[in-house]
Amino acid sequence: MPIAYAGFPFLSAILLSCVIGLVTILFMPAAQHRRIKMVSAVCSGITLVISIYLFLAYDKSAGGLQFAERIAWVPSLGISYFNAADGFSLPMLLLTGIVFFTAVLTMWELETRVKEFFALVFLLVAGVFGLFMAQDLFFLFVWFDVSLFPMYLLIAVWGSTRKEYAAMKLTLYLLAGSALILPGIIYLVVKSGLSTFDMLALMQPGTFTPFQQKLAFLLFFIGFGILAGVWPLHTWSPVGHVAAPTAVSMIHAGVLMKIGAFGILRVGIYLCPLGWQYWAPLMALLATVGIVYGVFVGLAQTDLKYVIGYSSVSHMGIVGLGLSTLTIDGLNGAVFQMFAHGVMTALFFSSVGYIYDRTHTKAIAELGGLSHSMPRAASFMILAALAGIGVPCLASFWAELMVFIAAFKVYPLYGTLAVCALVVSALFMLRVVQRTCYGPPRSRYAQLPDVSFKLGIPRIILATVIITFGFFPSLMYTMIQTASLPLMGGLPW
Amino acid sequence: MVGWTAFGPELYTCFVLGGVFLVFSLLPANPRRDYVTAMALAAVGLGISIAGLHLTGDLFADTYHVDLFSQIFKIMLALGLLLAIYLCEHLRGIAPRRHAETYLLLTVCTLAMMMMVSAVNLLTLYVALELSSYSLYVLVSFRQPRTGGVRTAVRYFLIGASASAVMLFGLALLYGSCGTLDAATLMTLLPAAMGRPEVITGLTLTLGGIFFKLALFPFHFWAPDVYEGAANPVAAYIATASKVAAIAVLIRLVALGGQNVLLARALAVIAVITMTAGNLTAIVQQDLKRMLAYSSIAQGGYVLIGILSMTPAGYASTTFYALVVLLLKFSCFFVLVKVAAGGRNVAIDDLAGLHSSSPILALLLMMALFALAGIPPTIGFTGKLLLFTAAVQRGYFVLVLIAMFNVVISLYYYLRVIHAAYLRKPPRALPALNLALRDRLLAGVLVTFTVAAGIFPAPLIALAEAAVRVLG
Repeated sequence: MPIAYAGFPFLSAILLSCVIGLVTILFMPAAQHRRIKMVSAVCSGITLVISIYLFLAYDKSAGGLQFAERIAWVPSLGISYFNAADGFSLPMLLLTGIVFFTAVLTMWELETRVKEFFALVFLLVAGVFGLFMAQDLFFLFVWFDVSLFPMYLLIAVWGSTRKEYAAMKLTLYLLAGSALILPGIIYLVVKSGLSTFDMLALMQPGTFTPFQQKLAFLLFFIGFGILAGVWPLHTWSPVGHVAAPTAVSMIHAGVLMKIGAFGILRVGIYLCPLGWQYWAPLMALLATVGIVYGVFVGLAQTDLKYVIGYSSVSHMGIVGLGLSTLTIDGLNGAVFQMFAHGVMTALFFSSVGYIYDRTHTKAIAELGGLSHSMPRAASFMILAALAGIGVPCLASFWAELMVFIAAFKVYPLYGTLAVCALVVSALFMLRVVQRTCYGPPRSRYAQLPDVSFKLGIPRIILATVIITFGFFPSLMYTMIQTASLPLMGGLPW
Repeated sequence: MVGWTAFGPELYTCFVLGGVFLVFSLLPANPRRDYVTAMALAAVGLGISIAGLHLTGDLFADTYHVDLFSQIFKIMLALGLLLAIYLCEHLRGIAPRRHAETYLLLTVCTLAMMMMVSAVNLLTLYVALELSSYSLYVLVSFRQPRTGGVRTAVRYFLIGASASAVMLFGLALLYGSCGTLDAATLMTLLPAAMGRPEVITGLTLTLGGIFFKLALFPFHFWAPDVYEGAANPVAAYIATASKVAAIAVLIRLVALGGQNVLLARALAVIAVITMTAGNLTAIVQQDLKRMLAYSSIAQGGYVLIGILSMTPAGYASTTFYALVVLLLKFSCFFVLVKVAAGGRNVAIDDLAGLHSSSPILALLLMMALFALAGIPPTIGFTGKLLLFTAAVQRGYFVLVLIAMFNVVISLYYYLRVIHAAYLRKPPRALPALNLALRDRLLAGVLVTFTVAAGIFPAPLIALAEAAVRVLG
């Protein structure tokens, strides 16, 4: 795989601005809420700008790994600080930049323990960025755990609805995942006989026997799959989404679940392609069950955030189905869906969070007629719901389309089931929208303020992204293909 | 004369530290004088141990071997002594007139442990082990009220005495079948003789005495009672320095047998039982010290994983992990001593509101517990990674999987403590804890080191690898 080293360490600059943000906030007086938020907005803005620049500056004709940086870290163990970006990681970096910046702006009204909140968010996001750019298994795992453990405090301190239970459940589930990933990583490093954690060296064909690949892929699939919300290991996710504060829900559903799917792709598929091929039928089955299950359980929910939580399980099932098809279209669709779902679900949580902050309820039955009192808030929510259904001209339409085309070819039955489930999901999303936004206006919500321009900025950004990639899917498609074509071309079968 | 220089750290500990406190214990009680003197002398002792890092030599008819391995552990022991004495500032759990004796016994115990890590004759080792154990029995009995302290000490003594008996029996078997207790000779004889039942039984029973020190199954029952019953700084010393010495001796003993599969399997079974029993029992504990005791037991299980791989990488990772245990357990006890009003025991619920009464202590506690659970980027994660990598290299993949699930279980009870410190509201508003500047400084240094050594572990790993090279 071609590697282009960077003249300027852009990738480290992203991490550095997270660290600078974190350290600056730690040394600021806790009472200066406004300044802390300003620092957070500036530092997260820098990460967004760099990630946009990288997305545009990537040389698609050259492909491969670009913007690479490499420093030997612990030479005796073969650990190096090795970052690089390719067509799979750049969409994820862009997604993280967008969701991070908009999440910070969404929390502009936070007043309790502001300093710690933003400090923990910076730590979490540093882990996420680091994981998406890491090319060294050691660092990949370190970033994975760094992005998980702030979640406990973020949910348990600032959350709602059974927050302590949700925080504990989430942390233990995700760390159980890492309890499989770490032995998997050690196993591969030891069995390779190369004593290196460098993924480029480990992914050479013939490094691992078929049995080793099957065993390790299973560990990675379950370990990362817990985070990706793979059925039946998803139960932490709706509970966690509901309990988390708005910004954390956005980051969590928008970015953190993608870490799981990305881990399966980056570690599982790249290092153990034979294992991928072997376990693909199981992946497809679990993904389809997840899609159908998420939709039907979502139908029965009365809490707005639970609806989104279960729709996330269903949408991440589409990612899993795409990965399990072993085709270029499936891979493209899966990665595109990771991006599209991330932005869509961030917008969804962001608008529901606004409604919850004003009406103090997430119960669908108690809401209604919101389009009269807060038309802008309602329209953001409707847009997110439409994107979730997969309406054409919105980003997720193209992603789901590609996955379904691939799935119909490889697994006709699963493909049909998934499409049928999506029709049902359209029904339930529209019902939710109808019950909350339309209907007779409720007098107790009549005086509530609508989304102001300032609070609208993050939502407008997210909506713009959804629509832009809906109209110009080739922006994303050509990018992902620079990575998926070489990957599929270099496979051993 | 060269030989006596090699004995420098021990000589200093014995005559200067021991001598001063022997005199002090005869004078009228003066806790402040005792504390300041102890701190100063222990700090110098640490300096001498560090200066003696590269000493080598054989003493006492080749029963005593000074090499890089022993000297690194002596530095850790001197550090452990210094840190334990640091916690004795008020020493409220022990009557003032016993303070000088407390320092004296801590010193004697440290001396004994220094001799343990250098002993290359198993009989010397046994004597050193007993010396350290007896000092600890007496130290435990000092806890006020004395009835409780003595009861704990007797329980500790009874289990300790049976472990000693088991060890002596093992030594007798070894001597009977090999005709020597000299480690270097044994090392040449044992790998070939390991097939004989009396030899492997002898070696395993000999290890029993060390299992007691490290609180491994089946000699782990004393730990929770002793931690709970001993004065807080003494419990801290048992959880840190005493463990470090036991790890060193265990490495030396297991290294004697070469790479014996049967012994490795026996150790693997013990490791699994120890860590699972420790972690599962820790979940239900309400007292912080009991919880830490069970967590120590579980940590002992992880240590065994590194040792049973029986490779230089495994021994190096265990040496690294000894430092991890020393620092992280000390961090927990440091918080405990500062929170414990009047030297009492601390329940996990008593930590409620720590986050607002002392943010730095809450941060230290959180970092130490996350590191003990092996969350990166901390020194605890690096330690576990090294241990598990060494084990997988020898094919113990399932053992590592079991250990990782134990880590997840342990996270549950660590999170309970963090939950109490960060989220629980205290029943009544607590006054802010007034920490001296040096306390805050120490807490800051510990937090920084926990993270920095996790991010830049290369020099420490190199040192550990150099240390085990001399084991041959």
